[in-house]
Amino acid sequence: MVMALRKRVMRILNENKWRYLGILVLIFLGSYTFIVAAGLAQNLANLVTTFTEEHRQEDLSFRADQVIPDREGLEEAAGAVIEEYLSFDAALSGTLTLRLLSATERLNTPAVIEGRALSGPEEILLDPAFAKANGYPVGSQIEAAGKTFTVAGYMSLPHYIYPLKNVNDILTSPQEFGVGVITREAFAGLVDAERIYAARFNDRTGSLNRQARELREHLRAEGITVSDWIDIMNNRRARLVWASITGMKTMSVPLPVAMFLISCLIIAIMFWRVIRRDAVIIGTLYAQGYRRRELTRHYMTIPLLLALAGGVIGSLLALPSIAPMVMGMVSYYNVPVPGVTINFLNVLAGILTPVLFLGLSSCLVIRTELRRSPAELMRGDRQKTKVNALERALKLERFRFSTKFKLREQFRSIPRLLFLFFGITSASVLMLFGFTAMNSMNRVFEASDVYQFEYEYSFQDLQFGAAPEGAEAFNAGKFYPENNEEMEFYIAGIEPDSRLITLKDLKGNPLPNNQTNITKPLADRMGIKAGDTVTFINKEDGKPYTFKIDAVAASYVEQFIYLPRAEFNAKMGLAENSYRGLFSTKKLAILGEKLSGFKDMSALPGAIDEFMGQLGSVVVMMTVVASVVALIIIYLVTSLLIEESRNTISLFKVFGYKRREIRSLILNSSTLVIVAGFIIGIPLAVASMGAVYGYLGKMINLVLPPVVNPLYVVIAFIVIMLTYQLSKALCAKSVERVAMSEALKAGTE
Amino acid sequence: MLIEVSGLKKSYTTGTVKTEVLKGVDLKLGKGEIGVILGPSGSGKSTLMNIIGGVDRADSGRVTVDGTEVTRLSDEELTEYRRAEIGFVFQFYNLIPNLTVGENIEVVANISKSPLNIGAVLQAVEMQEKKDRFPRELSGGEQQRIAIARAIVKNPKLLLGDEPTGALDYQTSRSILRLLQQVNKEFGTTILLITHNTAIAAMANRVFKLRSGKIVEEWVNQEVVPAERIEW
Ligand SMILES: Nc1ncnc2c1ncn2[C@@H]1O[C@H](COP(=O)(O)OP(=O)(O)OP(=O)(O)O)[C@@H](O)[C@H]1O
Ligand SMILES: [Mg+2]
Repeated sequence: MVMALRKRVMRILNENKWRYLGILVLIFLGSYTFIVAAGLAQNLANLVTTFTEEHRQEDLSFRADQVIPDREGLEEAAGAVIEEYLSFDAALSGTLTLRLLSATERLNTPAVIEGRALSGPEEILLDPAFAKANGYPVGSQIEAAGKTFTVAGYMSLPHYIYPLKNVNDILTSPQEFGVGVITREAFAGLVDAERIYAARFNDRTGSLNRQARELREHLRAEGITVSDWIDIMNNRRARLVWASITGMKTMSVPLPVAMFLISCLIIAIMFWRVIRRDAVIIGTLYAQGYRRRELTRHYMTIPLLLALAGGVIGSLLALPSIAPMVMGMVSYYNVPVPGVTINFLNVLAGILTPVLFLGLSSCLVIRTELRRSPAELMRGDRQKTKVNALERALKLERFRFSTKFKLREQFRSIPRLLFLFFGITSASVLMLFGFTAMNSMNRVFEASDVYQFEYEYSFQDLQFGAAPEGAEAFNAGKFYPENNEEMEFYIAGIEPDSRLITLKDLKGNPLPNNQTNITKPLADRMGIKAGDTVTFINKEDGKPYTFKIDAVAASYVEQFIYLPRAEFNAKMGLAENSYRGLFSTKKLAILGEKLSGFKDMSALPGAIDEFMGQLGSVVVMMTVVASVVALIIIYLVTSLLIEESRNTISLFKVFGYKRREIRSLILNSSTLVIVAGFIIGIPLAVASMGAVYGYLGKMINLVLPPVVNPLYVVIAFIVIMLTYQLSKALCAKSVERVAMSEALKAGTE
Repeated sequence: MLIEVSGLKKSYTTGTVKTEVLKGVDLKLGKGEIGVILGPSGSGKSTLMNIIGGVDRADSGRVTVDGTEVTRLSDEELTEYRRAEIGFVFQFYNLIPNLTVGENIEVVANISKSPLNIGAVLQAVEMQEKKDRFPRELSGGEQQRIAIARAIVKNPKLLLGDEPTGALDYQTSRSILRLLQQVNKEFGTTILLITHNTAIAAMANRVFKLRSGKIVEEWVNQEVVPAERIEW
């Protein structure tokens, strides 16, 4: 008998192979995403942590107006390692800049990842992305700053993990910018090289903020004026990688859990059916002395088999994809990769979680069913005619028959309904999430509706007088709210009649520049409204300044307070005609040595395209996965629905319903639920996006707007509906196959 | 004549064994008449009725219902035929469990060109109070009344009943039979019934006795007995 039961398992699997295959795929996807995402996150975190620790990443860096006279004494006093390095931006061509940094020994030491270390002043170590993009293999020559260097090797730098030209940039572009390390001696003759100090505190557990504040006080006490002070936490070059890691980590749990839960629900529903249909057999076996345990074991075989198979296949396929994916992610950053580790605990979790989930849920179902007495079970499938409370409560008089019928079909089984609803919602969220990400990124980069200038120049020293023709002067300073130094942002004084900064209010009407405007992302972050009076600390002098906010300006990325320059200068106690930078629509003839920064707005698109291309492929993948999930779910529900409505379908045929009518009544009954699931998915996608973005944005000092483009909503909807059509087409045959004799013979068997 | 069956043959092949179920059946039933098919189990009653009702196909012979040659219709035409002309009543009622009584009747009214008023039909079967109940909440007899209501709502030319009282007790059976007789009178519906119960033959205009796929006996009742007076 046990043998016979085992044969039945195979038969049940075989009879519904598509259904079980669908479940298998869901479990597989769950395990796969879990193991890959967890593996990625752990590996990246490991690589980055190992790298930044071993190569002593700085905690902060700053520029000083003079060489620190007693560095060792300061180190002692501040409890930090402080090292000076040189930096020089060498223009290799009109668009290509190589930043030369002097090799350091105590902090931010370069990790050679290919070739060998520097052995003399004629050698250089390059950032690999830059070297590859511009064709500098190891051993080749590169001309920079009027000197010729031999590429000794490639390196990674802990403070240039993401080699951004400016700290506030968003994207790297190896075609335009790269970093190279040369010996300190090689800087001889480069009089314009900047001196930058990096510091790392010895107390690794104490508050970074407090230690940084103390260090600054020590510097001030020694009469040293610092500028460009950047804590590592605010340094996108070092922090952006953590955003990726956190993103991966957050993905590694909810997505697979959702998949597992969906599989559990459907397995539970399906087994409920199988057992119900088997009720007579179970009752008979029961009556003949089979134990509940034996029967439970029999019915548990399929869910456990599926869970195990899905988990094993998922992890088998996930393991080999971790390494290339880590490499793919890392290639985006510059981190040495000594090796990719595979955590077998994750694999175990990837296999055991679905086994546990599915085992428990099906066990629950089976136990509940087996609790009924053999006699009750033998009486058979009477349960089928039961009507649930919701069905009873439905008042449908007003509707057309087909609507009534479809609603009743859907409400027939609440778990089935929920499964379909949540399944479609999660697939929609997944899909919209991808599209929204693309949209948001697009919006971030298309910030041009605020900036009308092409070039931005920042000067080392304060400038006075009138701006050159075609340019507008601005003055700016970094500020932060009291007690929250991490939230720093710029307040800029601009021309009151500026045409290069055009702000709009939230309704889209132009805002005048002769008042104090705050951009929306910053206002949201600080909780500021129009009309508020706010006080912020100036980062340079540590003194508080008060501003009265007149309006909030629509914007997605920029975090600024803009006010008229004269007002800004007056508040700061600066000369009325002084300025620190220029916005310009054309290139200005300014000597490079006077500048501390230069931004070419036209340089952005190339990098954006590259980034969007990568994001695009991720989105396509997410869409494909979401469609597969949606397809499986709709198919499973539809096939269950047909199975349960066999007698009704048969009856419809006898009564003379046409094929098309039956198909419409049965197969289209899910439309409402699917559309509802999708619609609910939209705000959910936006909300979850908002949450993730808020988190990531804080991490990298960037406000990412969750933007939903109606076009993409329509596309996502079309994809879901196509999936629906496909699964209907797959199920149409089984509707056709239902014979009229089923109704004619009903009750006689 | 509404139904004319001649030389109807049907066989089933299971594996290598061929069973002849109908071996040349001839049958005629006039418009507005009640016909009863009697016969032992396995004699082919249901098969015959299914062919007449257009849910099964014959091997040879012909069936004409109201001038339509049913045996020559394509699948699509058979569907149209059932939709327009035929009402079915089953032994085990076959109501759709998740639809209310009213909705079960709508199932058929929905595809009918000029359906009768559902309320009127429910009244005819004396079930107007149960319109919003679900089938499970009704007795067998009540369910069969609804099934009859469902069958007559489209005002079919021909009402087919395969043992409509087969699952009911004596009293209930009689009330169902009376209902059928009423429908026959009120709507002029031609009715063909299958039964094991010879006593029921008394309420029919024509009776056909089927044995091993052949009509072995056929008679016309000169005096039709009202269902309430039938006893067994
Ligand atoms: N689909 C089928 N395949 C094979 N044989 C069939 C099929 N349907 C019916 N039969 C056979 O045809 C014969 C007649 O069946 P039918 O259902 O017409 O009998 P019946 O007179 O209605 O019997 P009952 O009074 O028991 O309902 C039976 O011997 C049955 O075994
Ligand atoms: Mg029969």
